[in-house]
Amino acid sequence: MEQFFQQLINGLVLGGIYALIAVGYTMVYGIIQLINFAHGEIFMLGAYIAFTLVMFFPIPLWVAILVSMLFCAGVGMLMDVVAYKPLRTAPRLSALITAIGVSIGLQNLARMIWGAKPQTFSEETLPKFFQQLNPLVEPTSFLNIFGVSFTENAIQFSEGVFLAYLDLSIIILAVVLMFGLNRLVTLTKIGKAMRACAQNRVAANLMGIKTNKVIAITFAIGSALGAVAGVMVGVRENINPLMGFHKGVAAFAAAVLGGIGNITGAMVGGLLMGLAEVFGAGYIDTFIEFICNNIGLGQFYEDEKISHSYGSGYRVAISYIVMIIVILIRPTGLFGKSSAHRA
Amino acid sequence: MRNWLVGLLIVGLLSFWGCQPPDKKTEVTSDETQETQESSEKATVEVEDDQATVEGKDDQATVEGEVAEDQATAEGEVAEDQATAEGEVAEDQATAEGAGPSSDDTIATQKESEQVKVAVAGPFTGTAAAFGEMIERGARLKAKQINEAGGINGRKLVLTFGDDAGTDKEAKLVATRFATDREILAVVGHFNSSCSLAGKDIYKENGIVALSPGSTNVSVCEGSDWTFRNLYRDDFQGQFIARYIKNILTKYNSVAVLFDNDDYGRGLRDAFTAEAKKIDLELVTSVAYDRENTDFSTQLTKIKSKKPKAIFISGLYEQAALIVKQARKLGIRSLFFGADGIDSPDFLKNAGISAEGTYLTTPFTFGAGGEEAAKVAAAFEAEFKVPPDTWAALTYDAMGMIAEAIEKTYNKEATLAENRKAIRDHLASIDTPEEGFIGITGLTYFDINGDTVNKPAYVKVVIDGKYTTAPEQMLNLDAFK
Repeated sequence: MEQFFQQLINGLVLGGIYALIAVGYTMVYGIIQLINFAHGEIFMLGAYIAFTLVMFFPIPLWVAILVSMLFCAGVGMLMDVVAYKPLRTAPRLSALITAIGVSIGLQNLARMIWGAKPQTFSEETLPKFFQQLNPLVEPTSFLNIFGVSFTENAIQFSEGVFLAYLDLSIIILAVVLMFGLNRLVTLTKIGKAMRACAQNRVAANLMGIKTNKVIAITFAIGSALGAVAGVMVGVRENINPLMGFHKGVAAFAAAVLGGIGNITGAMVGGLLMGLAEVFGAGYIDTFIEFICNNIGLGQFYEDEKISHSYGSGYRVAISYIVMIIVILIRPTGLFGKSSAHRA
Repeated sequence: MRNWLVGLLIVGLLSFWGCQPPDKKTEVTSDETQETQESSEKATVEVEDDQATVEGKDDQATVEGEVAEDQATAEGEVAEDQATAEGEVAEDQATAEGAGPSSDDTIATQKESEQVKVAVAGPFTGTAAAFGEMIERGARLKAKQINEAGGINGRKLVLTFGDDAGTDKEAKLVATRFATDREILAVVGHFNSSCSLAGKDIYKENGIVALSPGSTNVSVCEGSDWTFRNLYRDDFQGQFIARYIKNILTKYNSVAVLFDNDDYGRGLRDAFTAEAKKIDLELVTSVAYDRENTDFSTQLTKIKSKKPKAIFISGLYEQAALIVKQARKLGIRSLFFGADGIDSPDFLKNAGISAEGTYLTTPFTFGAGGEEAAKVAAAFEAEFKVPPDTWAALTYDAMGMIAEAIEKTYNKEATLAENRKAIRDHLASIDTPEEGFIGITGLTYFDINGDTVNKPAYVKVVIDGKYTTAPEQMLNLDAFK
């Protein structure tokens, strides 16, 4: 049971990250029907920018996150102006290919600037409660209520369930930003304009909505959210030029799972992808063992080294299988509306 | 819908393609060194290069291939059958520069008498790049020292580098390029076991020695007369680690294995688990991970539920650093034990304080090396501003062994194939301790496969953010026979 709750936490964190990225894919698709494959690279740039800032200037991480968000919003808008705007009326495939080009370009740009070697945020640049502890020293718990104890860098729910403050802040950030985005889209004027553009761009334009401005803002918001996710992943894992590709493709799959073009769908899809990946990888071996035991292959399972859990090596594949199954049953994704015009 | 699933596929392929690191980097760096060494000669050489091209144009039929920009293709086309004169005029910058000043009608002969070319293959980019960096430096240092001491029988030793990015796919390309080159006498490399295995058949078919300073997978040298290595194998290493935990770290009597799902990770895991079963070391679980991954919390949670006292990581430093960090965040305070794959300064840098108390095995440690090793370490630090690691030392020795073999066997009159064969025969003849090559990492001699079986494993432990030679070692090899 402890394992289950710990995996649930892992899944929520990963899901939160996927959701933050997936929103960027889905918002842009909703408005200009473009799959912006360079979005993963914005996520990567966000991490690198924050990394560079905290390495060279004595500023706290949260300031770096804000700067990185602004920077990425700028890059997102610039990308739209330079690469996609000239192709607004061109066939959709042209813009798609351009997006791939931008993606590869940014990836290699990052490789040129920061090198191919992965980078890690050094500990002293992080807030105290994100930092590592010496494993040889018993962690001190400074607060203990109802068996939940708070240590220097994690909350310990019971013997074996830990929630690091870093992971907690990822979940909180994801929830807050998602909620904010939801409010923005449903309540504000710009949100209304966005929804109008998503329904029919030409009609919206005729009604006096400056569609190019709305599109630019959409890119900016999506990119800023991606940047936050990038920094958090950078702190939690590491930063490398390929991180945008790996996480980006998974997040894109999440957007498709939720029904691309639908913001709520992207949030739910991201969460589901994260949980599917973690639980799939966490329990596939138990599942295989269970099957082997029940069809009389228990000994075979022991002997043939299947007892080494290869399953978790394929965690990414597992989440894609989930996506494919959902798409087969509901081709429009969980929240997507069926529509005649798809790329 | 279907349309953009196809689109997704295309994107996947393209991005993967786009991500492959360009080979240029290493070639450029190799030029750079040459430049620093020979900046005075640069002008002359450039003129010569022009002349060479002009000369080539006179003789269109033969030289057409050589002047092509694409070095690999050009050399591939004319590979074996044309080992003389015009062939050398190829636009290979490094070669042209190595030639030094000479009158244009004797370029070819001059070159042949003045230089010998050895290739170095390693992961200079990609997830094992920190190893590649050290390998490159170790090779450069040895080559520089050899050349400063007058070269190999008066010939200049020229290095050429090939980046396999730590992937078997790239390794095959690099191996083909080296094996079909008309000048390269021998290869030092590859580093990753998967890469050595991928290159093995190519080197064997073309008859060129590959001496690996880092591959420890059991089958790297088996079945090929052309592959050698100057360090231990994983069957020994895995056995060693299991016994070390059992006999010396007696408090940690239950172990979980977390392994990289590739040739190195699986091979080492197999050796470890087999020995653990034999000596009755409790093995609680064994979980795989994929090298592309950066989030290991799922696997670690699985391991945590089994409550092992120690966790053995059978993989490379980059993932190991993340694993150790993420494990601590999940509240896992077990002892970590790694193998030579995590023996890199980058492990300490990336893992930070979480690495504290991690044990690892290594084929060599400067702490246990002799006076000669200390001297080389000082020279290395003076040259590259960082202390050398195990892999720099092993590459240094591998380069020394190849240089010695060339020195003893190189025959100007013989064909390339004969010279390559002579090097192989010389290395194969080093099969007793008396004939062994004495380098900074100790005595090296080969068994019938080309494996080195006499080298012990050292144990290091991370204390205060540094690798420290562990207080208790098991250097007696007799117990492992």
